[in-house]
Amino acid sequence: MIGMTVSLTAITFWVCAPIMVVLGFGMVLARKVVHSALCLAGLMVALGVLYASINAPFLFVAQLIVYTGSVMMLFLFTMMLIGVDTADELKETIKGQRVSAIVIAVALAGLLGFTVLHAIVGQSGGLSVINNAAGGNAQAVAQLIFGRYAVAFEAASALVITAALAAMVLSHAERLTPKERQRERADRRVRQFASDALPVAPDPAPGVYARHNAATYPALLPDGTAAPGSVAPALEARGQAVLAEPALKLPAQSLHNRLAAQATELDGQPRLMADLPDAAPALTAKADDAEDQEAAK
Amino acid sequence: MNENYYLVLAAILFAIGVAGFLTRRNALLIFMSIELMLNAANLTLVTFADALGDLTGQIMAFFVMVVAAAEVVVGLAIIITIARSLHTASIDASSWLRR
Amino acid sequence: MAYIALLPLLVVALGALVGVLLEALVPRRHRFVTQAWFTAAIVVVALVRVIINWKTPSSRVLAGNLSVSLDNATLIVWAGLLLFALGSVVLAAQRFGGVSSFTPMAVAAPGSSDEQTAEAEGVEHTEIFPLMLFSLTGMLLFPAATDLLTAFIGLEVLSLPLYLMTALARRRRLLSHEAALKYFLLGAFSSAIFLYGAALTYGFAGGADYSAIDRAISLGLARQPLLLAGFALLMVGLLFKVGAVPFHAWVPDVYTGAPTPLTAYMAVGTKVAAFGALIRVLYVAFGGLSWTWAVPLGIVAVLTMGLGAIFGLTQTNIKRLMAYSSIAHAGFVLVPIAAALAVTTVGALSSMTAAVYYLASYGLATLGAFAVIMLVRDGTGEAPDLASWAGLGRRHPWVSAAMTLFLCSLAGIPATAGFIGKLDAFVVAWRGGLAWLVILGLAFSLVALGFYMRIVLVIWFGKPSIERAASDSADTPDQPADIVKVPVSLGILMALCAVATLIGGLVPNYFTHFASLAGQMLR
Repeated sequence: MIGMTVSLTAITFWVCAPIMVVLGFGMVLARKVVHSALCLAGLMVALGVLYASINAPFLFVAQLIVYTGSVMMLFLFTMMLIGVDTADELKETIKGQRVSAIVIAVALAGLLGFTVLHAIVGQSGGLSVINNAAGGNAQAVAQLIFGRYAVAFEAASALVITAALAAMVLSHAERLTPKERQRERADRRVRQFASDALPVAPDPAPGVYARHNAATYPALLPDGTAAPGSVAPALEARGQAVLAEPALKLPAQSLHNRLAAQATELDGQPRLMADLPDAAPALTAKADDAEDQEAAK
Repeated sequence: MNENYYLVLAAILFAIGVAGFLTRRNALLIFMSIELMLNAANLTLVTFADALGDLTGQIMAFFVMVVAAAEVVVGLAIIITIARSLHTASIDASSWLRR
Repeated sequence: MAYIALLPLLVVALGALVGVLLEALVPRRHRFVTQAWFTAAIVVVALVRVIINWKTPSSRVLAGNLSVSLDNATLIVWAGLLLFALGSVVLAAQRFGGVSSFTPMAVAAPGSSDEQTAEAEGVEHTEIFPLMLFSLTGMLLFPAATDLLTAFIGLEVLSLPLYLMTALARRRRLLSHEAALKYFLLGAFSSAIFLYGAALTYGFAGGADYSAIDRAISLGLARQPLLLAGFALLMVGLLFKVGAVPFHAWVPDVYTGAPTPLTAYMAVGTKVAAFGALIRVLYVAFGGLSWTWAVPLGIVAVLTMGLGAIFGLTQTNIKRLMAYSSIAHAGFVLVPIAAALAVTTVGALSSMTAAVYYLASYGLATLGAFAVIMLVRDGTGEAPDLASWAGLGRRHPWVSAAMTLFLCSLAGIPATAGFIGKLDAFVVAWRGGLAWLVILGLAFSLVALGFYMRIVLVIWFGKPSIERAASDSADTPDQPADIVKVPVSLGILMALCAVATLIGGLVPNYFTHFASLAGQMLR
């Protein structure tokens, strides 16, 4: 029985440990922030499994819920807010920084690894006794948290409240001007129609007939040109809107050409064909850069 | 099973975290590296708790999780605030402090 | 019983919670004033409680079951922290021309129309007051903690609100945001290192209690590399918080970017709390290792003094200057700590006595100096450029005299508290057998003297230059910098700091008596 447990622990470790190291390197080396986050999330799950294998079932659950469940989710939310596609600048800004950082890290790993290599002498195995005496690991942990470490626990509640305050202060905008509701919006539209002849109907939504349903892609009119006003002005101002007309028109045009050619084949009547560009035009200047960099690699 | 290997794994992860902190330029990535370092410290604590037959290590690891959760909220709120005013999360983009 | 002894801490924590409730209950018009008075009252109540605890010897307990030690050292540090926090609250409560030092609306992008609307509407972030109390809770817990876990929690409770508040400056908001990000990332990095050190130390000692660590060290040298690695990493975390070289990089940027009341709060509060914790960790937990850490710590002290004093010489921004001043002073406080001179008889000089006295004199002078910094304003707000301070002495002799006194105390000129602080520190180091440290410390004191006298000369003899506006083209003030009418509360604060600085320099016996009692630590 004991031999069985030990070997199970060993198997768990030797399965998890390489995965964790690979994911750790993945996190540090990945170009896209999202990939790093996914690597880290995977690493945290594997770490939780390791906790379970060394008499810490409560922490296993807490690790899954707190780290992968909430911490990593917050990271992902943040990425969605500031752009999922954020890729890190891999260019060195301080000369020699990367090399020295790697030297430092390797030295640190060597030093710490050597330090801890013989840290544990002998096996105590007393933890399962303690856990069983309290009626389980969670109970044993609870007795300490609410007894010996009560002050620390109360202080930790101050941390959580601070966090809530921080989120409120930095992201909650108090409404200073009255909100424009549907009624007021309709009134304003009609008023603007009367005064400036602006359209009464709502702006075209982004993505209608578009090549992509992201908010940065304009809606396309039936002839493939971008519908004005279908991308939020803020995105246009930031230069994130995709406004490359030829590239946007391309799918509609090629589809037209294909259908027209089929129709001509059937009844023999010639039809007007769109002029397709020789090479596929790029969508954005940004995408262009990315492709260039890929090519450079 | 020699539990020292757990500690060596933790040391390696900690060093990877330090490497990430020192090499990456994106605030989110730097912050994630710090989380990795915290996790490595937690693994060390839990391993020692098991080896010593003493629950304190597990309690510490639990508190670290609480701290990390709170820290993430504050940190990400700051990063979002900056990203909103600068449209980037790169720590190089903002350099008013270095004249 | 232990909970009664713990009352000052509990009062502050509860005050913070009630402060958060006040946010929801008090109408916006009255919120700022209510919060300011409430926060000040809470700090005063906690201070009174500390004094009552001081007078009742039965309240000195080593509450091992609560992981805090309520001994003389803790009470002295608490009293200092609460006094300095009270001063910082007074600074934070100042409003010049109806606006505080904090941003009206942190969400609004800098320079956006939302920001202007918020400013016009007179919105304010009154959350800073409960946040200050939360941070104070951590500051009180950090030096009182008797195990690494509680210390870590205290460290985080103290830091998190500061990261946030750093981002809330009213003027130069991008600078403030960047300072917050820098402070946060480096602070989180250092606390991760601290934690790893705590983990290794725990593995060495088999417990996180300082007493357990002490016992494990005295028992034997088994697993020695583990102990050394853990200790080194713990020190990195602690030295980061006190802003010692080579972990000082965040100090100038963060001090410059943060709102001025908060800079003052960090300069005095964080420093006192972190030194309190550092001393307890060094003496109670790692006292048996003092032959190992004395010389490295002395070298750190020399580097810190030197870098702070020399780099400070070239600064032109007064807040940045104060940042380098705080780095230099961290070095001077480390001098007696490195000497590790234990208490022999009551009333005799010890490391703790000298460090406490030094911190008190530094805190008083720094708080007073920041009060003056808040007063020198031009059309856009504070005028931190040293050039705009030129010739203030002739127009506003009283405020300038107070500033001169604070600077003299920081420089360590006789008849001020700072002189006695430096004297004690060097005497302790000499008795501790670190003569080289004393000599180098004296040399850097002279450099620091030049650093502060430069400001004094600018204030009294500098010529206000006309072409100043041209050099500072970023934001041309529409009116030249001058000292505005001194608000009553700020005047009282400055007067108290000045009087205490003088008393500490002329009749030091009264204060040294208290400081000498601080050396008694329950283990």
